[in-house]
Amino acid sequence: MNELAFPAHKMSSGQAVFRVLVVDDDQDMAALLARTLTKEGMSVDTVFDGDAALVHAMSSTPDLILLDVVLPGISGFDLCERLKADDATALIPIILVTTLEDSRSRVRGIEAGADDFLSKPIKLEELVARVKTLRRLHETRRELEARRLTAEVHRKEAIRKAFSRYISPRLAERIISDAGSDGLPFQSRAKRISVVALFADLRGFTRLTETMEVDKVVGMLNEYFAVITEAAYRYDGTIFSIAGDCLLVGFNVPFPQADASQRAWHTAQDMVAGFAPVLAGWTQGGGLPTGVGIGIASGEAIIGNIGSPHHMSYTIIGDAVNTAARLMQMARGGELLVSDVVYDSIRDLVPAGSVASRGKVPLRGKTEATPVYSIELAKR
Amino acid sequence: MTGETHKVVVAKDIADLIPQFLGNRRKEIDSLRGALAAADFEQLRQLGHRMRGVGNSYGFARVSLLGERIEQGARSSDHVAIENCISEYRDYLDRVQISYE
Repeated sequence: MNELAFPAHKMSSGQAVFRVLVVDDDQDMAALLARTLTKEGMSVDTVFDGDAALVHAMSSTPDLILLDVVLPGISGFDLCERLKADDATALIPIILVTTLEDSRSRVRGIEAGADDFLSKPIKLEELVARVKTLRRLHETRRELEARRLTAEVHRKEAIRKAFSRYISPRLAERIISDAGSDGLPFQSRAKRISVVALFADLRGFTRLTETMEVDKVVGMLNEYFAVITEAAYRYDGTIFSIAGDCLLVGFNVPFPQADASQRAWHTAQDMVAGFAPVLAGWTQGGGLPTGVGIGIASGEAIIGNIGSPHHMSYTIIGDAVNTAARLMQMARGGELLVSDVVYDSIRDLVPAGSVASRGKVPLRGKTEATPVYSIELAKR
Repeated sequence: MTGETHKVVVAKDIADLIPQFLGNRRKEIDSLRGALAAADFEQLRQLGHRMRGVGNSYGFARVSLLGERIEQGARSSDHVAIENCISEYRDYLDRVQISYE
């Protein structure tokens, strides 16, 4: 028989059972220890050698271990050392039980990480007192740890909620998970990755709003952004920035997306389709010659924290982003302009008759002209 | 020593553990004898060490005392001293009288 269980005699209502593992190769000693502790309302498991104790401690994580020093297999000292070196078991209080009274054994036990000692022959009152003391300490430590974890969850949730109003929930999640050990976000290093960048802009809107009331402009922009950000989230795009009426969405960043170009295409379609009823409402209310113009390009970009110590943006920069921005600036309302590389990835999805080549177009900042395709997403 | 009775008072909470405790002590006599016959003093030391730990914990001070003497005898390979202890141990187990309170 390698293992015995002694369930608690009694348990006060609402209080978790305190689980003790007794490790002693002497069955009489183990039975006496178990009996004494079950009388105190604790639940006791008993094993008779070091190897079984290690398996039991790792698998069931008791609240306290009463550990004999002289054991078959792993010795009590070695077992104590191993349990204290493992994160999963390091906090379990261990009382070393020994007949070795000499100070060398105590020193060895302290070095192994033991929390307390008991000498054989066991004085049962002393056993109970020592276990109860460690139980109080253990429960206090556990309660403090639970409070710390709860506070941490609340803190992250608050950050997530705050961030999610300004950046995409996925990006907020990434920033929070990247938080360094000191709790500060934005610690991760910049890196170069392949991205698909989508820029969307409400063409001509800025000029049209110069004479509008401020509240009306803000209300219209909120309607517009509600539609296009929802489209970006629908295809797991990451919104990096909103500036004026312009939006930058990244795909394949910060999470890999093998179908990034296709996602960008669907996002563009949904942005224009979703915005159509909004635009119709605006037209009924006075009419505005505007629409969403979109540019999409792909290539390498750098993702990271860019700015000064006083103000930073977690964003993407690079040729793909610049090209997408230039294409967006050239696009009319309801038009999508894409680079040739992007078009090659989505050509099967584009309805026949809606695409036209614009040929090689010189783009500001680029030495070579870029082959550009125009896709009509909606009538203005 | 012969004819002497040994009275031990044990907590009634552990009364049901005593038959097994005494049964194991009797088995211990056999183990001690076997180890002595084989002159296995390391085994004798370990058995004495165990007796020392468990005896007094149950309230059987004499078991711990004999265990300590066997442990000492094993360290000095004192065959005669250990043989005397084993005889005394058997006699003790035959005559011990237990009361519970």
